[in-house]
Amino acid sequence: MWTFTVKRLLHLIPILLGVSLLTFLLMSLTPGDYFTELAQNPQISPQKLAELRAKAHLDRPWYVRYGYWLSNAVRLDFGYSIAYKIQASELIFSRLWNTFLLSLSASVLAWSIAVPLGIWAAVHKDSVADRACSLIAFAGLSIPEVLLALLALMFAASTHWFPVGGAQGATFDLLTPWEQFCDRAHHLVLPTLVLAASELAGIMRQMRSNLLDTLRAEFVTTARAKGLPEGWVIYKHAVRNAINPLLTMFGYSLAGLLSGAFIVENVMSWPGLGRLTMESLSKKDHELVVASVVMATALLVIGNFVADLLLAWSDPRIRLK
Amino acid sequence: MSSASSPAPSNATSADATPPLLDIRDLRLDFMKDGRALRAVDGVSLRLGAGEALCLVGESGCGKSVTALSIARLVPSPPARYAGGEIRVNGSDVLKMSPRELRAIRGGVVSYIFQEPGSSLNPVFRVGAQILESLKLHRPEAANEEEVLRLLRLVGIPAPESRLRDYPHQLSGGMQQRIMIAMALASHPRLLVADEPTTALDVTIQAQIIELLRELRRQIQMSLLLITHNLGIVGDLADRVAVMYAGQIVELAPSHTLLSRPLHPYTRALMNSVPKLKGQVGRLSAIPGNVPNLGSFPEGCRFHPRCPQARPDCSTQSTQLLEVEPSHWVRCPYWST
Repeated sequence: MWTFTVKRLLHLIPILLGVSLLTFLLMSLTPGDYFTELAQNPQISPQKLAELRAKAHLDRPWYVRYGYWLSNAVRLDFGYSIAYKIQASELIFSRLWNTFLLSLSASVLAWSIAVPLGIWAAVHKDSVADRACSLIAFAGLSIPEVLLALLALMFAASTHWFPVGGAQGATFDLLTPWEQFCDRAHHLVLPTLVLAASELAGIMRQMRSNLLDTLRAEFVTTARAKGLPEGWVIYKHAVRNAINPLLTMFGYSLAGLLSGAFIVENVMSWPGLGRLTMESLSKKDHELVVASVVMATALLVIGNFVADLLLAWSDPRIRLK
Repeated sequence: MSSASSPAPSNATSADATPPLLDIRDLRLDFMKDGRALRAVDGVSLRLGAGEALCLVGESGCGKSVTALSIARLVPSPPARYAGGEIRVNGSDVLKMSPRELRAIRGGVVSYIFQEPGSSLNPVFRVGAQILESLKLHRPEAANEEEVLRLLRLVGIPAPESRLRDYPHQLSGGMQQRIMIAMALASHPRLLVADEPTTALDVTIQAQIIELLRELRRQIQMSLLLITHNLGIVGDLADRVAVMYAGQIVELAPSHTLLSRPLHPYTRALMNSVPKLKGQVGRLSAIPGNVPNLGSFPEGCRFHPRCPQARPDCSTQSTQLLEVEPSHWVRCPYWST
């Protein structure tokens, strides 16, 4: 078990190296840099610009800059945001919390509805309710997240029931801790619903088809032949096996939620990691871009690792290999 | 087609007050497919007394497994639909039982072992726990580890203490089937239905499992319904043999009679396709053609397109299962030729 964990964590190193290298390369291949916009300003002399570029090492080739970045990164210094003028890691950690909060609440909501609904649809296969669930699921899968996010904003703007975008109100710092909590929760509702909606449909369909397959398995007949009540047959014997493919899906869904958060965060101005990456990309704030991409990659790999651990815990056949 | 009024073929000596353990009367079962009813079991009648062993023989798709699963109503419905008949277990009809009564029959009176022990055991639970589950349901007073160990010893599992906490995939096919048997016996059933219990196993393991079943039957007073397509193991185990073809019983006789003097052309063809150890080694004869598909059974005698002795009227005249000799039933009017 420990060797497995250590091995997986060691796998993280080449992945992060490759991703950071590729990000540096791709950033350097795009034209312009952070100071290109500044160059349009006639009050700034070319000498001053060159000075600024040299200070940010932008006069050096990309691989030299990558070397600088790497030597700092091993000392857990992930660079400096020239746009925000603070440490990139500090900025990311403040945003990471927002992304994590949104992803987690959307995940919890989606999974806690989708799994029971999928089970129910499989057990009542071909009933009216099953067909209705399928219809809703297909609608959820086919409506683009952008559209759903915009609709949610429209809803918020016209009803005033929810804030239009953002993660906290303007007076947040003046509130008591309890009011702060309520304010955050209030802001969280719509992005969570939008993010959960599309994921919910996928999980539900997956749960339904897994369980339908498992209910045809021979060990289900064995369980019935023992004289177990149908509820036990389904929940103890069938669901326990049908859940395994979903655990693999859970890892991918963590990744999907981060990229999903990318769209939802931007449309609904949620100050998360996805939005930060997008902003830093358009500003050419290259150290911040690399740091957020590396962070997102690490999260993705860790998500997959967690899924593998869950799968090993759930399925004895995997545990022993 | 036999009618419900005809007496069920049996070698039970008397029709006394205690009903037989198992009494299937004119069972008819359809599978619904695209709105059509495809008959899989067509008028099967069988009787099995306490302690008796009956073998149900036939090719794949002849309806023998469906008949056996019907005893505890384990055929998923839909797509299956019972079109008629009765399955009486200890005198009460399984087809009319409530779910609660049915659960008492399942395991309590009838236990099953299946063809693929590997997929019949739940892969995520330890084998000890799966046996214990059966005990908890039917013999809660004996639901403890000692009883599980006793059962594992009974079915010949070496070092049962170390096997208790194994998962099914850690055991060989033969061991898995022994676990299945232990689980089936845990509830003290009066009838064990073994649905092709050796088909998926190696030949040497097959012999061990058959030997185990015979030994268990000697130790425990228990009836056995063995489903197989292998006539070679029939003589070892069964008191009587029923041969099924296309959803019907075509021949029913005590096993030594059937093996020494098969009367139905299908039984004869089936026996010619079993390799013999004695005598001249020639080519095995295969039965020409295939088992007819559900829903497209031939008119008249269902075996006539493949029958070497078929006559012109075999394709038109429907056949009856008749007792041509004492306790020897045959569904062929030309059995004597």
